[in-house]
Amino acid sequence: MNPLRPAFRYTPFVTGSLQSLLRYRSMFAISAVTAAASAAMMIFLWRAVHSSSPDGPPGGFDTAELTTYLLVAQILGLLHANRVDDEVSAEVYRGHVAAMLLKPVSYPAVRAFACLPVIGTNALFAGLPVLLLFALLVPLNVPRPVDALLFAVSAVLSAAVAYLVNLLVGMAAFVTTNTWGIRLMKQTVVAFFSGQMVPVGLMPDALAAVTRLLPFHTMVDSPLTLLLGRYDGVPGILGVLGLQLLWTAVMCAVAALVWRFAVRRLEVLGG
Amino acid sequence: MIVVENLVKEFRVPEREEGLSGSLRTLLTRRYRTVRAVDGVSFDIPAGSRTAYLGANGAGKSTTVKMLTGVMTPTSGHCLVNGLEPYRNRRRTARRIGVVFGQRSQLWWDLSVPDSFRILRRIHDIPDAVYQRNLRLFRELLDIDALATTAVRQLSLGQRMRAEIAASLLHDPEVLFWDEPTIGLDMVLQEAVRELVNRVNRELGTTVLLTSHDLADITSICDTALVVDHGRVIYQGRIDQLLSTAGQRCVIFEYRGGPSPEAVAAEVEHALPGTRVRLDGQRVRIDHPVGLLSSREVLSFLLERVDLTECYVPEPDLGTVLKELYTRNGHRGRAPGGAA
Ligand SMILES: Nc1ncnc2c1ncn2[C@@H]1O[C@H](COP(=O)(O)OP(=O)(O)O)[C@@H](O)[C@H]1O
Ligand SMILES: [Mg+2]
Repeated sequence: MNPLRPAFRYTPFVTGSLQSLLRYRSMFAISAVTAAASAAMMIFLWRAVHSSSPDGPPGGFDTAELTTYLLVAQILGLLHANRVDDEVSAEVYRGHVAAMLLKPVSYPAVRAFACLPVIGTNALFAGLPVLLLFALLVPLNVPRPVDALLFAVSAVLSAAVAYLVNLLVGMAAFVTTNTWGIRLMKQTVVAFFSGQMVPVGLMPDALAAVTRLLPFHTMVDSPLTLLLGRYDGVPGILGVLGLQLLWTAVMCAVAALVWRFAVRRLEVLGG
Repeated sequence: MIVVENLVKEFRVPEREEGLSGSLRTLLTRRYRTVRAVDGVSFDIPAGSRTAYLGANGAGKSTTVKMLTGVMTPTSGHCLVNGLEPYRNRRRTARRIGVVFGQRSQLWWDLSVPDSFRILRRIHDIPDAVYQRNLRLFRELLDIDALATTAVRQLSLGQRMRAEIAASLLHDPEVLFWDEPTIGLDMVLQEAVRELVNRVNRELGTTVLLTSHDLADITSICDTALVVDHGRVIYQGRIDQLLSTAGQRCVIFEYRGGPSPEAVAAEVEHALPGTRVRLDGQRVRIDHPVGLLSSREVLSFLLERVDLTECYVPEPDLGTVLKELYTRNGHRGRAPGGAA
């Protein structure tokens, strides 16, 4: 028997999600414009800080590196906008999760497969145009091929962590109806602690220490560390990727545990 | 096929207090009350049977079905479907059962019925031949093509039920759980659904467990009844045998010429003690207790006395029989759904 057979069961969720995405094409334009605007704002803000600082570039970042960091951080943000939190909380709220329990599939897996096209189309129709646009406008750091490759691997892990974070946020709908507030809170926390606004290397020591204890920095800071080659040889690479893997595993376990609790909770709500 | 042993499900529901002050109090201290929805039920349903699961409103039928389909875990006791405990093997069970909850859709709200079916085909890994055969069957009996590309959320209740019923049968399940499935179906479709269930039951040996408020559904789909009251099984057996336990029977007739209906009524009540006669124009209805008289005795009396033109001896109706059953078992609450 084909070992991939169980995965094939989930293909309709991939195609279904792609279909509904293509129906709302204007969304890509909005995502792209939002990402471009934030990137532009961050870049000019940092440039202003840069030029006013007398003792050269902070933390060893030169202008092109910092620009690349801030731009790619926004593009990673597009890969993290997988809509899993919205979908899960909506389905919990409308009671559709109960119906999924009667199907021979795992609900978290369904959501994982359904978010693949969201990530893919976001990357293609919003991320790529933004990257090209900025490449024309501002000087960027061109990564070494090996670093680009490491970045790709790291970006996949960062998308996995983003999915798990959003899954957990979505499941908050089991205990509260104010999922909007929770999602907003998550956005702020992630934007800050992932390193999307400030590279972890530039944070004050105490804050950087806290950030490194949280999973969020593996979403942005880790892939960018690899992309910009800011690591010490092979042990450095293994350290970054290892930490990402570890956090992916831990978050998986937490999500599985919470999901089990949530199913119980569903009974109480009258599944 | 289905084994249920001492199944118990309790819910903890927060006590609500009345008024604003009550709401404020519950904000600070919340008290809980335990509701025992299923109270130690045991039964055993053989493969291939078509069983109606009957009981008063709130008797715990839906809760039992939720445990049998794996979406709820019992507080104590256990149940087996196809040899598996459903709530411990949810996905494996889901592959082998078909479920309709009348109260809640099993389809994808935003998708059309054909799109939902395509998903079901994939997640159940339904072989081509089976899928095509079943679609043909649903086209013929449920006219599902008429539902076309409308999103499920825009379907009428009756249309949605047709889709739900078809979806529950799509993967040739070994057991069907239908909880209040035919709400909103018209007479023609009820007939079609009956035909459909009877066909899969005959051809595939599908086991059917149905709960319904509609006594006509029950008698047309099921051959066995499982009557539960206060968590106890008070009857399990053939429906026709249940009907034959009726304490009252009746004979309805019309006649030509002869004495006036009032005179006939008086004569019958005198000659056949224990009977009650009701007149409805030319039509006369005689209710008689089973223990004292048989329908045959009533009929032979009538054949001798009047010139019969029409005569009906209807089967006792399930609602009345169930009411008697509950009363015999000391139930003082509501009668089962449709009989109320
Ligand atoms: N999720 C729940 N939380 C609290 N009480 C419930 C819940 N589900 C059902 N009940 C209670 O359990 C009892 C049985 O309900 P149910 O199984 O729906 O009965 P039936 O289907 O036989 O009408 C009812 O008193 C109902 O109020
Ligand atoms: Mg019910």
